[in-house]
Amino acid sequence: MIDHVVISTEGLSKRFGDRVAVDALTVAVRAGEIVGLLGPNGAGKTTTLRMLAGIIAPSAGRAVVDGRNPASEPERVHESIGFLTESPGFYERLSAERNLAYFAAFYEGVDAQVAAARELARLGLADRARDKVGTFSKGMKQRLALARVLLHEPRILFLDEPTAGLDPEAARNLRELIVSLRERGCTILLSTHNLSEAEELSDRIAVFRTRLLAIDTPKALRERQFERRLRVRLADGVEPSLAALREEPYVREARAEGDGVLVVLLADPDSDRPRLVSRIVQAGGRILEVREDERPLEDAYLSLVREEES
Amino acid sequence: MRRRIWNVVRMEWAGMAATPSSLLFLVVIPLILVAQALFLSWIVPRFVNPAILGPTVTDAGALRLLILRQFPFFVLLIPAMVANVFATLGIVEEKVSRTLEPLLATPVRTWELLAGKILSGALPGLVVAWASAALFVAIGYALGWGSQLSSILTATFFLDTLLLMPAVSLLSFILGVIGSSRARDAKEAQNLAVLVIFPIFGLIAVQVTGLVQFTPVRTLLLSLAFLAVDVILLRGAVRLFGRESIVTRWK
Repeated sequence: MIDHVVISTEGLSKRFGDRVAVDALTVAVRAGEIVGLLGPNGAGKTTTLRMLAGIIAPSAGRAVVDGRNPASEPERVHESIGFLTESPGFYERLSAERNLAYFAAFYEGVDAQVAAARELARLGLADRARDKVGTFSKGMKQRLALARVLLHEPRILFLDEPTAGLDPEAARNLRELIVSLRERGCTILLSTHNLSEAEELSDRIAVFRTRLLAIDTPKALRERQFERRLRVRLADGVEPSLAALREEPYVREARAEGDGVLVVLLADPDSDRPRLVSRIVQAGGRILEVREDERPLEDAYLSLVREEES
Repeated sequence: MRRRIWNVVRMEWAGMAATPSSLLFLVVIPLILVAQALFLSWIVPRFVNPAILGPTVTDAGALRLLILRQFPFFVLLIPAMVANVFATLGIVEEKVSRTLEPLLATPVRTWELLAGKILSGALPGLVVAWASAALFVAIGYALGWGSQLSSILTATFFLDTLLLMPAVSLLSFILGVIGSSRARDAKEAQNLAVLVIFPIFGLIAVQVTGLVQFTPVRTLLLSLAFLAVDVILLRGAVRLFGRESIVTRWK
């Protein structure tokens, strides 16, 4: 991963009248990263993307996108970003090709017809290029919308709910495309409600509720919210092992769960793990599997949001 | 800059071409206005006693001349009516089809977008108006009204058609686009559309009442005044565009 920051914000805020939509957001995104924005409805994700894209102005603070301030130089920022808006609006009476060529012609140095044909082919819509967009399914429109943001081959993408309303296959295809864009070096800010999608695609996840609650890798977010527990599956009864473990000073907590499973909280989950295994073996336990008890990202997300609520 | 404005113009025209009713409107309304003017110029001198208009109107020819003199101002209604439909819906349609936000995420500047919207309607409106004027004059000559027509085809007429009409048309389109960008829906935009007719009605009222005689110099000055207002209003239109309220309030 390239290590320089291409998107940064400092105290970025937005108010609509008395309502605070985004509160003092400070964040930095490195080139080539995918950062997922997670948050409930009305958390300020779309407002943040719009401010970064220079479509609306912040009430306070500032942002820098690809070295430029979107509030003062929106058109220059637009040259280097692609913004997939929440609603994939098109001129429905016109063809897909005409729609794309129109948007492509606003960019300097882009051959509109060539760019439109290239992106239609990339998104698997070449055979429908001359059909009116009004005849397209929602999934096809979403693909066409993604084709639109790629016309000028931007280095930075803002994707607002890219898979919302798509069937599972279309959503998977779109996710694969997003991964391929990252491989091409694109930096992506991805707003989504889909936690598994965020976890699958994002290098880091920013949990949002008007203000930034946390930003980290999915794994680190889970660890931050929940202590790392180990699940030890045994071939036979757990009682002897459980009794032995409860006497060990490095075992902070141990309990049986279900049939033949021990859930153990260690003082240091990494360095204490070999001692744990030895102690269970000494107690006569036959270990089938030792693994970390991974809580789903959803739990970490809900925990963060509820903490904020309370 | 010009490339982006022209891009908007071409897209608007592609949209018009994809909507046959738009083309029909562009052709039928001017034809009706021309036919109406020709009909009035023919029928009124035949059946109305010129004496009712006062001592200066002594015969049918003079009565026809009086009617023909109003024609250049009624031609101004053509681009205004075109503006009424195309300009007032220009931005609202973008809002309704959800294309405005993706459009605002491209490097197009607000004034370029608005200028493209205005020109895309004003240019065909003007062409149709000029064609209508030419058609009216041609048919008038064919009907034997040459002597009356030649007395109105003066420098004032040509200044009126080639300078005043574009200036007033632009004003109508700018007002239409302002209304469109401030409207919350298509219905409200149509209600605001009445604004675009006001400048034309003002001119017609001045002409019909005879309060001001339109000499070449006065027509030239009036045209320049309208062009200055156009520039000021276009700047105002950019300020009034309010992209933030458009993208955040339209759901």
